[in-house]
Amino acid sequence: MNENTVFVKKYRENEILPGNESEIWRYAGFLGSSSEIDGELKHTFNEVQNEIGGMFSYKVCYRRMKIADRKKDASLPFLAGSKALSALLKDCDEIIIFAATVGLEIDRYIAKQQKISPVKALLSNAYGAERIENLCDTFCEDIKNQLQSENRFITRRFSPGYGDFPLEKQKEMFALLDPNRQIGISLNESLLMSPSKSVTAIMGIKNEKCESTSANKCNECSNKSCVFRKQGNK
Amino acid sequence: MTVLEYMKNNLVRLDGGMGTMLQKSGLLPGELPERWNITHPEKITDIHRQYFDAGSNIVNTNTFGANCLKFGDEELEEIIKAAVKNAEAARNTSTGAQVKFIALDIGPLGRLLKPYGDFDFDDAVECYAKTVKIGAQCGIDLIFIETMNDSLDTKAAVLAAKENSDLPIFVSNAYGEDGCLMTGASPAAMVALLEGLGVNAIGANCSLGPAELAGVVSEYLKYSSLPVILKPNAGLPKSVDGKTVYDVLPEEFSDLMCDYIKNGIRIFGGCCGTNPEYIRKTVQKAKNITPKPVTDKNITMVSSYTHAVIFDKSPVLIGERINPTGKKLFKEALRNNDIDYILNEGLKQQEKGVHILDVNVGLPEIDEKAMLEKVCFELQAIIDLPLQIDTTNIGAMETALRHYNGKAMINSVNGKEENMREIFPLVKKYGGLVVCLTLDEDGIPETAEKRVEIAKKIIKTAKEYGISKKDLIFDTLAMTVSADNNSAIATLGALNTIKNELKCHTSLGVSNVSFGLPHRDILNGAFFTLALENGLSAAIMNPNSNEMMKSYYAFKALKGLDENCSDFIENIENYAISQSSATANSPVSENLPDAESELQRAVIKGLKEKAGSIVSSLLENTDPLEIVNSQIIPALDIVGKGFENKTMYLPQLLMSAEAASAAFEKIKIKMKENPTETVSKGKFVIATVKGDIHDIGKNIVKLIMENYGFEVYDLGKDVAPEKIVEEAIRTNTKLVGLSALMTTTVPAMAETIKHLREKAPYVKVIVGGAVLTKEYADSIGADFYAKDAMETVRYSMEVMENEKAV
Repeated sequence: MNENTVFVKKYRENEILPGNESEIWRYAGFLGSSSEIDGELKHTFNEVQNEIGGMFSYKVCYRRMKIADRKKDASLPFLAGSKALSALLKDCDEIIIFAATVGLEIDRYIAKQQKISPVKALLSNAYGAERIENLCDTFCEDIKNQLQSENRFITRRFSPGYGDFPLEKQKEMFALLDPNRQIGISLNESLLMSPSKSVTAIMGIKNEKCESTSANKCNECSNKSCVFRKQGNK
Repeated sequence: MTVLEYMKNNLVRLDGGMGTMLQKSGLLPGELPERWNITHPEKITDIHRQYFDAGSNIVNTNTFGANCLKFGDEELEEIIKAAVKNAEAARNTSTGAQVKFIALDIGPLGRLLKPYGDFDFDDAVECYAKTVKIGAQCGIDLIFIETMNDSLDTKAAVLAAKENSDLPIFVSNAYGEDGCLMTGASPAAMVALLEGLGVNAIGANCSLGPAELAGVVSEYLKYSSLPVILKPNAGLPKSVDGKTVYDVLPEEFSDLMCDYIKNGIRIFGGCCGTNPEYIRKTVQKAKNITPKPVTDKNITMVSSYTHAVIFDKSPVLIGERINPTGKKLFKEALRNNDIDYILNEGLKQQEKGVHILDVNVGLPEIDEKAMLEKVCFELQAIIDLPLQIDTTNIGAMETALRHYNGKAMINSVNGKEENMREIFPLVKKYGGLVVCLTLDEDGIPETAEKRVEIAKKIIKTAKEYGISKKDLIFDTLAMTVSADNNSAIATLGALNTIKNELKCHTSLGVSNVSFGLPHRDILNGAFFTLALENGLSAAIMNPNSNEMMKSYYAFKALKGLDENCSDFIENIENYAISQSSATANSPVSENLPDAESELQRAVIKGLKEKAGSIVSSLLENTDPLEIVNSQIIPALDIVGKGFENKTMYLPQLLMSAEAASAAFEKIKIKMKENPTETVSKGKFVIATVKGDIHDIGKNIVKLIMENYGFEVYDLGKDVAPEKIVEEAIRTNTKLVGLSALMTTTVPAMAETIKHLREKAPYVKVIVGGAVLTKEYADSIGADFYAKDAMETVRYSMEVMENEKAV
């Protein structure tokens, strides 16, 4: 891959991993068992699902880059300064840096529902969150498969705002990816992305297979009181 | 020869990709290409020269990202000057014999504008203006605004170009596979917007290869009366053996481009992945193609940020409900700054199927200019219908038009000289379809002939301002037949002549015809049908009127405007039942013995409609306060406790809250009849702090607080500390709630608290949001950290109880 090129990958709905309803409920703050979701709520959920069907446009732009010297590399300044990221990239000599979005339409839908039905706003917001996570999973799976032919492996993905990797680094990620031009993501003054259902992240590439990535990633986050924090291994 | 003169009779050849060429010359990832104008002038000049040598008439300066967000003022000026100089050097040394021009290239700022981003429209205009001003001083031939993926951002750049230079303006937008801009605008919507703004050429560039842009190109050629630009990518980049290659090669590219040129493209070049070879091949092959003439399509249209509404044979419905005239609740909403009420009027009309929303918020005691701008902005955040800006306040009209995302309808101008002098310059500057009332200094003429005369005068005057007939729509003024039995005849006569002889579109405020008469709806419906048959193009109407909607669907079906009568079949059911039988059918009660517990159950189960209808019937013989205190609040408490004990979760809490809101709606209306009674537990000002645009959590708190009887003043999101303080003082609230969702915006929360402590020290501040913790809340001096909506309610009740006790 040419380091200089930002590639764009667009997915159709049917190319994305299937939706995970229990994740959507978790994002919506529902932590009970699905049997507790009664008729009216389920009905509202189905309505939301129908109304936002076809609203998502799945896009990723990415770039594969060599890590020459982690401390000095002018084009990868953000690699320094985060212990968590350094740990992740240990033994990696390349990275994939990417930005992904499911588009602006879902934001408009959420905003509209804020004025009509807060329940629908909550559920569609959760739905959008699940979709973007799913897009990232799909993309990472793609890259993983692609790298198999080179006998190379990827680490899990890591985003600005995770652990000690400051949100400030979004600026550098944006400078490298130009996601505004590529797929229409822009960065706000408060380092928030628009469309809101967007993600930027880094993955390392190395020669050995990485340890299982299924470990609870919530463990690395410092926000211990987060309502979404997955319980389990502390 | 100027570029405008040249393009009249010639095809115009543009250049190809700049970024691709720069990378080949050694530009590093993350490096700003604009700096190369200064550091590597010879390389930039060489790229331009290669394009001129390949046959380009226009090269774009290397200033795509040259704006004040990326560079300081001084460096910006240096960069742009150097960029123009580099292009000039190329022009002077190129061997190409063709006519050559230099365009100042302007790309998007990279910031999304409000409401979905945080960048202000006026700031964007100012930012583009800086670039334009410097460029214009350097002796460029035109301004080329390109790769814009948002309609409002495009408008900001065009306004900056218009206001700071007299240069020709070319505009090209970047479309996705769905044939729309990233923020949703269709090609027709962009044609409407940009023709309205008076630019010189429009089209598409970047993001896709030539083949994929076929749909976009054909839309442009169908709607545009301006020369159309096409500057596609060389397909998509692919990685082959560690090298990047684009999948459309010069041969194929140039063949495809020639097909488009034969179909009417007048201005062509390439974008990402193309190089001088692509341009050379295309120029050679296009050499003998005779340019297809650019014709006036004579299409009357307005647009929103997504689509255009075209005035043709099928009648256009303009919803009239956003208007305080004769509406007590609407007036009250305006006075209280209750934007949600107004938005709901818009949403309801959209649901009913209107195509355009009229927006009138004029009330003597409010700041109409600020209100109109705010309402249009909020409407455009959630409703994708074009708006008709309806005001007699010229200042308000200008501000609204300037910030409107699309090409608006303007209501209105009339035949008075002074009025035309005020309105037409605005139409010319911002674009718009203007409603022309056929009245003048002498009032409304009684006869059709005289109204037609006024119409002719308006057409003539508009022409002097450079506004063509297609942007005028005539309202021949419906007057009540109760005052003058012949008034409808005059209105219809004038309508007929204007439509069929002057060939202009027409509109009417239909319901005026029945003023002062019983069962107005019936007369309105009949008059609407008559007017449509006489050539009415659009009606300003109430979509809640069954008779009007019946006329609309029936007319379309009878006049061959409704294929297979499918619209009629699909919609007429909604209007076939009369109002009275409709309410009788609604499920008021299901024969349950105990209506009391039924309401509680409806609230707990989140049955919105049921809760509303049960309350309606209860209100017939129960005191509203009694219903609130003995039924709704206890039901909410059950849910609230369930939530606190984690036997119920947020979605369920909200379902109940919505059901309770539906019940409160009915209660509020009832209580308006007896205004001394109040359910208010106290006031509560809430906002998401500056810099933060998350508001789901904040809205949840708002809803639950309202349920518990608080009067909530919601300032929205991204609210400056000063504004929050101002509102706290204005409302004399004891409670302020602040929400922040990001680590980067929590400081704005601290700042707001500081301001509140200074100006309104008696206020208790509640904070919340995903990144906050109790410790953090304490450290920024908040009175209370609420981890969810229920905690906010509990604390607020406590505060108000203590207030009472004091």
